[in-house]
Amino acid sequence: MITFFHLSLLTSFLLFFLPKKYQYPFAFLLQSMLVLSTSAWAIQAWNEPNPVQVALGIATWSGEIILQIDKLSAFFILLINFICFMGIVYAAGYLQPYIAKKRATTISLHLFSFIWLNAAMIMVTALNDGIAFLLAWELMSLTSFILVIFEAEKEETLKTGINYLLQMHFGFAMIMFGFLLVKDATGEMSFSALASYFAAHNNVVVFLAFFIGFGIKAGFIPLHTWLPRAHPAAPSHVSGVMSGVMIKMGIYGILRVTSYLKDDFMVCGAIVLVVAILSGILGVVLAIMQHDLKRLLAYHSIENIGIIGIGIGLSILGYATGDSVLASLAMAGALLHCVNHALFKSLLFFSTGNVYYAAHSVNMDRLGGLAGPLRLTSLAFLIGALAISGIPPFNGFVSEFLIYNGIVHDFVSAGFSMFLAGLAGFVSLALIGGLCLYCFTKAFGMTFLGTHRSAQPYELRSTHWTMLAALAPIVLAIVLIGIFPEWLMYPLQESLATFHWLGGTALTQTAPAAAMTNVSLINIIFLSVMIAIGLLKWIQQKKVVVTTGPTWGCGYTAGDYRHQYTPTSYADSLAQLAEPFVIFKKDYKVIGEEEIFPAKRTFHTESGDRIERSAIMKIIGFLVKYLPLIGRAQTGYIHHYLIYPMLFLALIALLTFLQVI
Amino acid sequence: MVSLLIILICSLFIPGIIVKTKALFSGRKGPGVFQPWLDIIRLLKKGSVYSSVSSYVFQLGATTYLASVIVAALVVPFDQYPSVISFPGDFVMFAYLLALGRFLIIISALDVSSGFEGMGANREAFYSLLAEPAFFILMGSLAMFTGYTSFHDIYSHLHYADRYAVIIAIISGYVLANFTLVENSRLPVDDPLTHLELTMVHEVMVLDHSGFDLGLIKIANNLKLVLLNTLSINCFIPQDWPVALQVITFLLLQTVFAAGVGYVESFRARNKMAMNPQFILSISAISLILIFVIIILNNKI
Repeated sequence: MITFFHLSLLTSFLLFFLPKKYQYPFAFLLQSMLVLSTSAWAIQAWNEPNPVQVALGIATWSGEIILQIDKLSAFFILLINFICFMGIVYAAGYLQPYIAKKRATTISLHLFSFIWLNAAMIMVTALNDGIAFLLAWELMSLTSFILVIFEAEKEETLKTGINYLLQMHFGFAMIMFGFLLVKDATGEMSFSALASYFAAHNNVVVFLAFFIGFGIKAGFIPLHTWLPRAHPAAPSHVSGVMSGVMIKMGIYGILRVTSYLKDDFMVCGAIVLVVAILSGILGVVLAIMQHDLKRLLAYHSIENIGIIGIGIGLSILGYATGDSVLASLAMAGALLHCVNHALFKSLLFFSTGNVYYAAHSVNMDRLGGLAGPLRLTSLAFLIGALAISGIPPFNGFVSEFLIYNGIVHDFVSAGFSMFLAGLAGFVSLALIGGLCLYCFTKAFGMTFLGTHRSAQPYELRSTHWTMLAALAPIVLAIVLIGIFPEWLMYPLQESLATFHWLGGTALTQTAPAAAMTNVSLINIIFLSVMIAIGLLKWIQQKKVVVTTGPTWGCGYTAGDYRHQYTPTSYADSLAQLAEPFVIFKKDYKVIGEEEIFPAKRTFHTESGDRIERSAIMKIIGFLVKYLPLIGRAQTGYIHHYLIYPMLFLALIALLTFLQVI
Repeated sequence: MVSLLIILICSLFIPGIIVKTKALFSGRKGPGVFQPWLDIIRLLKKGSVYSSVSSYVFQLGATTYLASVIVAALVVPFDQYPSVISFPGDFVMFAYLLALGRFLIIISALDVSSGFEGMGANREAFYSLLAEPAFFILMGSLAMFTGYTSFHDIYSHLHYADRYAVIIAIISGYVLANFTLVENSRLPVDDPLTHLELTMVHEVMVLDHSGFDLGLIKIANNLKLVLLNTLSINCFIPQDWPVALQVITFLLLQTVFAAGVGYVESFRARNKMAMNPQFILSISAISLILIFVIIILNNKI
């Protein structure tokens, strides 16, 4: 297996020397080898009590790099491989117009980065050593940066990419800071050193450093600003992978650090919970305001990260207050939601990619009526939309059900403060569910239903078969998890064993996990009832006259596409409630009384993110204003530059003399 | 099984009673109690007209809506008699099953490219999102009060003998009754008999459904009304009474509720549309009060 792993990564450089025609097949081969070998390790880790150790045969200054795959890593590796593999399958069709248009180097660089992103994510989940981990983390950021700027000829895309790269490095610095604190205290720079560090020191500072560092990757509000820009800018197979699994690497990091916690559970849990609730609710509220379908989905990633965070936060708090059932149910829900989100979000991004490919736009103001021409794509999007809204019989419901049940259990047994925490989580989950329904009826309705919101007819391009083929296994996984959730309880429990403090109650012995058979029973009954009613309808409709006619227009016969609801009008009722968080501007001129024959006018709406504007942009504005002062040191005279080292040396001498250092 | 049976029986005459009450208050004799069902049977036999812009989504809508409501009926208990399927957290599944039906009805309304139906869809999505927290807060607080986490266990441990339980039963019954009004789009949130599309919520969404589909939607609406009623009425029936008396009280309370709805709809005007969010949020506020009452009663502070 290690040979396959090395072979796939080393030969990937050959991509640059291949002619265009052979690049994709070769990349596909390499990616398959990579997926195959690493999945084999993950499955092996699943069956063995101890972590699987794979020496990569290369070393950094802190020793040889060894992949250490325990059950938590195996869980994430299988997830990464599945989504990345579907991504490369999807790319076969999606990249075709670009392959014709772009230079060979660009395409090869893109495919090369895609393979390496997959590899980097696997290494992130499997490395224990700090230095090696940071290298893999950086590799992940760099490769995804290259993937985002695939269409770098657009200035906006390039700008977004650079924004992304900068923010990732802030996160990198925070993670490094966390590791350095640990190294300073224990002499070792690795995740496992956290165990001894947390046992002897205050847990909050290091946890917070890691939480910020990883949280920026995960996209917790207010560290989310890169996300709604980068995802729409990237090509769809990349956004699917980035949103589906790459942001989960942030969650993985938080989980890994959390698994070593020894003390201060209360504070850490409260921090995670508050940030997560904020992300969950604001993420979806901001999503509702969007016109751009991909941007809408990107905001939904923030919301789902929020749900995962609510699970993690409540789990930590549950342990802190001695409620081991809440702890294991909430953590199981969070872990399962990682899988579920990866599945439905990649499905949604891929099907949005199909829309873009076919209709050349993802602006919902200009879409509509695609359910006919893009029937399969729309069906896939519908299933993804139902799943992301947490609606049975699809997978999103199962993970939220686990978290809900944990909280209800907490209600029964908890004290006052823990009760309030549970209530906050409970109400936010309910609210997120309702908002999600609002958002996805809008997203699906505006994109696929009604008629085209434009005077010009579509010039549709038919989608490539791989772009549908990649959707099928994801849909299958979504439906299977949704209908038979009980199959997953045992594997989840195995992964939970990684958390040393979650030993209290086994997941499979909790009543809600056992109730999964009932959930699956209800789902099966639902499907059979639905099919039965459908059959009755079919029989009835054969006997009677079925005709088509115009839509009910209340007597008005000249209705056209402009009478339909638009994304803006659909979001309007919420816009007033969401005023404190969202900047919602309408730009139009009211028709005056004196204007008997109104002139042609325009209507323009814009929605902005108030948190980004007030919290993030202010800081950046401050930096932009004052950082140029440092630039004054760059005078252009070489003798000035020679003085700087002198001054530095003098400073060192002075500090040594004063015994500061 | 008892619960399912009794819910089905109630759904036969409850819609008729609302109509009858309204007729009596307006000085008419009104149709028979079973007329709504006779109408539905007539609809089920009729042909359909589909909008020429509608897609497969429109075909799925009514079917899924009815199926989801039928399956949701499986987890609703009748007093202390268990529902067909009962498990911890079944009320979460109940709420999400109703959401499934709502989702499909909303998108089938958006499917016909009508401004009216888009408006109805938008209002339905918005109001249900505001109402959702009320239900969850209420069920959470009842779970805390009784110490159990499924519909059946909660209702069978809501001891009536306990004097606190009276307060809690009344508040939660009130909240659930209001929740029922919002979910079923009755007055004061929505007037089901209005003739102006601009003032409708639920009715405007199904303007383009006809024949069999419309019949399915009406069946689902009737069932849903009775289901949610059952949730609030369960709070009021003592558990130590003999079965026969419980059943009679239940049927009586259902009738009273239906007559109450009819009464309100005869004498009250619909809220201004802009008032609705406030009205719906007030239900959540009341259930928040309930939760703090329970905290104090349980000595949790």
